[in-house]
Amino acid sequence: MRLYRIAGEGARALRANKLRTFFMMAGTIVGVAALTVIMAIGKGTEKKVMKRVQNFGPRAMMLIAGGGKDLPPPDMTVTTLTLEDAQAVRREIDGIDIVSPMAWRFRMNVKHEANQRQAVVWGVEPSWHEAWNWHTVAGAGIAGQDVATMARVCVIGQTVKEELFGDADPIGGHLYINQVRLTVKGVLEGRGTSPMGSDFDNRVIIPITTAMRRVMNVDYVGAIRIITKDLSRMPDQAAAIRALIHRRHHITPPEEDDFRIITAAIVADLARGTSKTLSILLIALAGLSLLVGGVVLMNILLISVTERTTEIGLRRALGATRRDIFAQFLTESLVVSFAGMLLGSLLGWGLSVLLPRASKLPVIVSWEPFALALGFALLVGTFFGVQPARRAARLHPVEALR
Amino acid sequence: MIELQGIEKTYGNGSVRTPVLKGISFRVEAGEYVAIMGGSGTGKSTLMNILGCLDKPTAGRVLLDGADVAELDDEAISHLRNRKIGFVFQLFHLLDRATALKNVMLPLIYAEEYPDDAEGRARKALAVVGLEDRTLYRPGELSGGQQQRVAIARALIVDPHIILADEPTGNLDRRSGLEVLAIFGRLHREGRTIIMVTHDEGVAEHADRIIILEDGRITDDRPVSEPRQAEGELEELRSEEHVR
Repeated sequence: MRLYRIAGEGARALRANKLRTFFMMAGTIVGVAALTVIMAIGKGTEKKVMKRVQNFGPRAMMLIAGGGKDLPPPDMTVTTLTLEDAQAVRREIDGIDIVSPMAWRFRMNVKHEANQRQAVVWGVEPSWHEAWNWHTVAGAGIAGQDVATMARVCVIGQTVKEELFGDADPIGGHLYINQVRLTVKGVLEGRGTSPMGSDFDNRVIIPITTAMRRVMNVDYVGAIRIITKDLSRMPDQAAAIRALIHRRHHITPPEEDDFRIITAAIVADLARGTSKTLSILLIALAGLSLLVGGVVLMNILLISVTERTTEIGLRRALGATRRDIFAQFLTESLVVSFAGMLLGSLLGWGLSVLLPRASKLPVIVSWEPFALALGFALLVGTFFGVQPARRAARLHPVEALR
Repeated sequence: MIELQGIEKTYGNGSVRTPVLKGISFRVEAGEYVAIMGGSGTGKSTLMNILGCLDKPTAGRVLLDGADVAELDDEAISHLRNRKIGFVFQLFHLLDRATALKNVMLPLIYAEEYPDDAEGRARKALAVVGLEDRTLYRPGELSGGQQQRVAIARALIVDPHIILADEPTGNLDRRSGLEVLAIFGRLHREGRTIIMVTHDEGVAEHADRIIILEDGRITDDRPVSEPRQAEGELEELRSEEHVR
């Protein structure tokens, strides 16, 4: 095929000048590599976000005591959110499945006989199990009766069980927290470690009334977990809850809130956090590289057209049409772009594989960046190749051979 | 075969107009060996370009095998050049990065139908010019005379109707020049049509017809009664060298 033979001429010219060919594709290499890394990070991040949202509960909201922009300190310090607020949400907001208030304290000493350890103690209502979809693997969970009677009972996490009871059956055993003697009535299923490294299973849960009156001596809660029946209504419900708490806490809007509402959507945004800025940076780099690379490609090709004027004249004399010359130089541009794309994909793939070892960035390598890079290569190769190819094709054979 | 009718060529436009060819008419029949002679600035290169369909005249007609070249578009003219005209240039114009074989095959790339035995044909063409043992040499590894012979092989590969040579010996020493002319002589005896442009009378006298160009006009068009034979001259040259 004639076009195939002409394309071969273009490829041969590139092989004859390897260094120049490399410079022609340098921009494409960097651009495509950056693109590949961005997409790997993007994909990894989305997976992380999905996991976070899944952990948080896709239908969940958290009404947390404490306003402001920063996250509240891990321990409860704001005293204004109460069990009555939880009651009010339950009573006044439509379409809510579960309202589950919680009070907690980090690093409380938990003792069993000679064993002692620091764990997080959570005061919860029975709905807590449902609200977090976190059930017992042995014994029973916190029951309504336990809350009503301020029962001295607890349910323990896997770590607490292993550290305090070892291989012994903990059910019916006793724990001391702040001199309060609690009977173990159940063991929670294991949840492992959070992405931040804290141990989900290092916890003791007790009835919320027991927690507030007997253990922590507070009359407020730290947060209320709210599960909606209908995900599409969540934004409206969040707004209604905000208005309700404003009213109950006598807050008029320019005034600062003493609470905040976190939804699954906000959790997703938080999880995207740094990788989002990094992605924007890399997208800028990729765009710039492809643009600069394309301009460099075009200019080197223009120089090459000037240098090879005689060659072009000769080819015309031997029977090349304007279109043939155009095709040859466009081929050179496209071949360079595709080669740059392949090398860039390879580099990007290598970086994507190495990146998780050097940083905490989540990365998923897939075929999509390759497909996108292919498209970009075609675009850059064509866009920046047309001008030099046109110039070459327009050369007059007589002038060119002079 | 090829006929020029009242060819004029003027460069520039507006007030600065330089006429280079001022009404050139002649006809070359198949199998002729014609030398177009003239000093520098007489318009012989321009005439050559017009004969080779690389340039169009300002006025007049170029009839190649009866068809008016001026009426064809770029694509048709390019195909015409490819099929019917074999160029030999003063500066050889070989691709430095390609072997002799690839250089000879170059016109075939632009052929409408690529022959199956392209490489065989290229080898045969190189054998015609005596370079069958240099097929894989690059131009830089060949002498000037050898390079020009590669260029002649390149002109021959499409089996052209006319070989157009522009000062083919201009960049060669006497011996290499004679070798080139010997090849032309042989091709002529085989029945090929050759038109050669030169400023050197000694070179022109190898043809069997000389057209003299002066200031854009033909001042003489005569047959050569006894064309010089390059083979004989080469023989003489060798014996001279031997004596010395």
